[in-house]
Amino acid sequence: MTAYISLMIAIPLIGAILAFLTKTRQQARAVALVSSGISLLISIIMLSRFDSSLAGIQLDEIHSWIPSLGITLSFGVDGIGMPLVLLSCIVIPLTVIFAWGETKEPNKFYGLILLELVGVLGVFTSLDFFVFYIFWEIVLIPMYFLISIWGGPRKDYAAIKFFIYTHIASLVMLLAIFALYFNAWQITRTPDFNMFHLLKNYSLLDGWLITNVISIKDAIFIGLLFGFIVKMPAVPFHTWLPDAHVEAPTAGSVILAALLLKMGGYGLFRVILPLLPFSDSPGKMITLMAIIGVLSILYGTFLALAQRDLKKMVAYSSISHMGYVTLGAAALVPLSVSGAMFQQFSHGLITCVLFMSCGVIQHSAGTRIIGDLGGIAKYMPKLTFVMLAGFLASLGLPGMSGFIAELLVLLNSYANLPTFVILALFGIVFTAGYHLWAMQRAVFGTFNEKLGHIHDGANYEIASMAVLVLLIIFFGLYPNPVLNMMTTTATPLVRDAAGLVGVIV
Amino acid sequence: MFSEPDSIFPALIVLLPVLAFVLTLFLGKKLPHGGAYLPIAAIAGSFIISLGVFLEIYPDKIVQQSWPWFANMNIGILIDPLAVVMLMMVTFVSLLIHIYAVGYMSHDPAKPRYFAETALFTAAMLGVVLSDNILQFFISWELVGVCSFLLIGFWYHKPSAAAAAKKAFLVTRVGDVLFLAGIVLLYVNINEIIASGRFSVASDNYLLQFSTMFEAAKLIDPTQLTYITLLFFGGAIGKSGQFPLHGWLPDAMEGPTTVSALIHAATMVTAGVYLVARTFPMFVATPATLGELYPSFFPAHVPDALLIVAYIGGFTALFAATMGLVMNDIKRVLAYSTVSQLGYMMLALGTAGAVLGAKAVGISLFHLISHAFFKALLFLCAGSVIHAVGTNDIREMGGLFKKMKITGTTMMIAALSLAGIGIPFLNIGTAGFFSKDMIIEGSFEYGEKTGDMIPYAFAVIAALLTSIYIFRLWFMAFTGKPRSERHAHESPNVMTRPLMILAILALFFGFTQVGFYGYLEKNFELMGVEMAGHEGEAPEIPVIIILLPVIVGVLGFLISYAIYYKRWLDMSKIISSSNPLYKLLLNRYYEPKIGADIIGVKLTHDVVAQSGEFVDRKIIDGLVIDNIIGKTTFSLGEAARKLQTGVVQNYASVTLLGVGLLLIVLKLVGGI
Repeated sequence: MTAYISLMIAIPLIGAILAFLTKTRQQARAVALVSSGISLLISIIMLSRFDSSLAGIQLDEIHSWIPSLGITLSFGVDGIGMPLVLLSCIVIPLTVIFAWGETKEPNKFYGLILLELVGVLGVFTSLDFFVFYIFWEIVLIPMYFLISIWGGPRKDYAAIKFFIYTHIASLVMLLAIFALYFNAWQITRTPDFNMFHLLKNYSLLDGWLITNVISIKDAIFIGLLFGFIVKMPAVPFHTWLPDAHVEAPTAGSVILAALLLKMGGYGLFRVILPLLPFSDSPGKMITLMAIIGVLSILYGTFLALAQRDLKKMVAYSSISHMGYVTLGAAALVPLSVSGAMFQQFSHGLITCVLFMSCGVIQHSAGTRIIGDLGGIAKYMPKLTFVMLAGFLASLGLPGMSGFIAELLVLLNSYANLPTFVILALFGIVFTAGYHLWAMQRAVFGTFNEKLGHIHDGANYEIASMAVLVLLIIFFGLYPNPVLNMMTTTATPLVRDAAGLVGVIV
Repeated sequence: MFSEPDSIFPALIVLLPVLAFVLTLFLGKKLPHGGAYLPIAAIAGSFIISLGVFLEIYPDKIVQQSWPWFANMNIGILIDPLAVVMLMMVTFVSLLIHIYAVGYMSHDPAKPRYFAETALFTAAMLGVVLSDNILQFFISWELVGVCSFLLIGFWYHKPSAAAAAKKAFLVTRVGDVLFLAGIVLLYVNINEIIASGRFSVASDNYLLQFSTMFEAAKLIDPTQLTYITLLFFGGAIGKSGQFPLHGWLPDAMEGPTTVSALIHAATMVTAGVYLVARTFPMFVATPATLGELYPSFFPAHVPDALLIVAYIGGFTALFAATMGLVMNDIKRVLAYSTVSQLGYMMLALGTAGAVLGAKAVGISLFHLISHAFFKALLFLCAGSVIHAVGTNDIREMGGLFKKMKITGTTMMIAALSLAGIGIPFLNIGTAGFFSKDMIIEGSFEYGEKTGDMIPYAFAVIAALLTSIYIFRLWFMAFTGKPRSERHAHESPNVMTRPLMILAILALFFGFTQVGFYGYLEKNFELMGVEMAGHEGEAPEIPVIIILLPVIVGVLGFLISYAIYYKRWLDMSKIISSSNPLYKLLLNRYYEPKIGADIIGVKLTHDVVAQSGEFVDRKIIDGLVIDNIIGKTTFSLGEAARKLQTGVVQNYASVTLLGVGLLLIVLKLVGGI
């Protein structure tokens, strides 16, 4: 048994406590950088120990906790979790560097960022459903405070909306988890919160939640699905996201978009796909997921086109990109599923650059309204360079990671979901459209003299964005270090579903 | 040395300019001329390697290298006759234009960025040419597009440049999506024939290699094959500025003239033609259903895909030439000329492909290469003129020949080549004479065999217009009285030397014709692809048909001579806004209005996006969330608080609402 994961989670937790106790911002940010840096180091060691040719859980550890209820502290990673662990450990230190100049209550600020790392790492590694849920909820709290303390003018509205919305989803999910747990307990006669056991026992369940209206199986499935897609978020459960982003501080937006949304997608792969073949009406569920996926892609795209606030536009672009995750998962082909997983990883990197760009512009120009900007490239050449790279990555330029993900989803989903893929293809032109249109109006063209004196991003800001751009290009040219393990894990994941699912629409 | 299976040289053709891009980007500021020597040296290296490969593989060898990449994709190099002639052309033209740019861009403070981007462009274009599979082709194709975007918007502080860059990217993106859809459809179909056991590949890694595709094309359902090829052609329409996606190319002239010469005349825009040529066996293999279904409209026995390529190409050749007649911006005249000439290349693939099979690739490519020489030359001459007089408007030029003898002479050579002037039967003439003549004859042969003379008519009328507009340009710029105060002077040697070299090629490249056709014709045979033979007797071509291209070329010259040099005809009556035809042409058939204003802004943004925003804010968020769920929650919460049972019930009630909502959705999709 190894202890990488518990160490990786424990260190930022200790770091967070230390950061809260520090007196100066220099100490606070140093603690944040060092502890998240150690987590990054551990995640890289884990990656080097990880065998991409094995589909099962690796680097696992188990500690007993509440035996009477069958709850254990068990952790481990496979091709679903490992890349997201890596992503989290990359994003958090870079966010700390990006936010190096934070002056408002820095000890709490950096402490909360570290707590976010603790939460997401827990979600991506927990193998016990109960512990998984605890981490799932832990993530909410620091984000609530990040928005409500460091947020913009309507921060209270946004923070409450974020909290209630995602919390309702969590509770629905919790009910489903309990239903699964107690029903399985009745059948197997042993209390057991082990995630894999519970997912396996799902097929044994029987009976109605409401007689002749909804079966227990369907209720559980929908409850879990609801919990995950609100988090992603998928249309029509997405409206909390733009509001949260508009008000959140840049670091909060980065973590929200890069990591918190990924929890939803993680749930699809970890929980929904294993259950899908055993649900009472898999075909209908797949159709539902495909509709949600493609609706998110197109709806997000057109809404992004309508936005006047640059940051809101980026928020809607997230919804659109996360639609590919749902679509690829619904197609149930090994490479479409691994493409969807890769989209999670890739979007996590790309969206950071976009939100950071918005933050730098807001800071320098005092506004993010596209129409009020104009020609800022003249005074912000460094920002323009990294921002353009991020925008090109986001619109799916080959040679960057987003392209590989979306290509794999489109190529491999067509066999099962042809109509949906054709619809998704329509979105591509408009995706390029809103990105370039925004760049043209905000960054290029004649400088808007009303903006007064503006300056380029600080070196630490540009540096963390540049690192992300390099990673986006690296994984765009050579995705194998994470893609191979995704494909290995995806293959048995969809094996059960093969044959159950014919061509839909 | 260059062509062994494990030689690193073929990869270096692309990697050298990539390296130059990185170095120039980061070190260019510290080096003389913005680091221009780095890309020049790198591209010279690529040219030498290309030449070396050519000498080793000529006449009947090919280079193939392949490595696994990600998932079931591979990365690889294929240098066959088609690729090697493109390699030599691209590296050579790019090299000359880079040298010229040292002079042309000498006053621009952003030189390092310029040279970095053109180096990256060259690398991407070479990537397109070298690809051994359609995915890598697509990736390089997209990178070429983004370099074009960056370079059109090079002077990004000009709003018109920023707008043109965006337009170019988005319009070609429409084509790119079609291309991508074609790849998706191909991938699915190949997987299907593999799954059904009718087809197998050595390893999954090579699913999208060209050789695999050509093998599979024989087994794929013919209707699907037509869709696939037409979707590919959709990509080609975007990249090569064919109707109806042609509008971005004239606007792309907002970039530096050297960019126009390199990207929007000689190389990138030919990528669409290259795509059709590259996948030509698939186009030839499509079924001839249009002729069967609509015998009164379409000729029989012409593969559907080729028929459409021929018609789009022929129509574009004519359509663009009409606009070339009235433009006053020197670069826009040349841009429409490029669109028109690309139409000829497509026309050749379509018509000659239908009756001559594999020969069509040679005919089209020969025009592509000769066009690259004379059109790059025309643009560089235009650049030299613009450099001298400081305007793009030919109405403000005039009388320049006395001051700019080298530019004037080389531009006349290029114009003669574009107009296809030469002496038939003696086989003496400019490059354009040989290459265009063959296309027109090919479309005549197509007409003879199929009874469909329309493409031929397109080609001949377009040839007349071509000659008129190009000599109009020359006479207005170089003869008559100077209409500008500015003191014009000849450009420095670093700019005029490349002009002379290109002029020599525009004059004499035509003499390689016979060898070129013979070499290119074997292209697909060398890859082991059998193409349906179209042997049969070549029809006797009447003397008048052979003479006609030159006759219309000379006629066009005389018309322009009469109007713009001798001024025998007063044009002021024709050129007036009350002439509806002139207005239509000057407004480019209202394409910018329809494309950008109506489709782009009004329909997409104002109608679709804004109504989406309304739904999101007012209905989903306003009505459902804030009012119904929000208010219910808070009133329930209020009640719960009074009952002092905490927030659990609050959550439970909201939870029920959430689940209820989902149930409704499910009910609607028939889930339960």
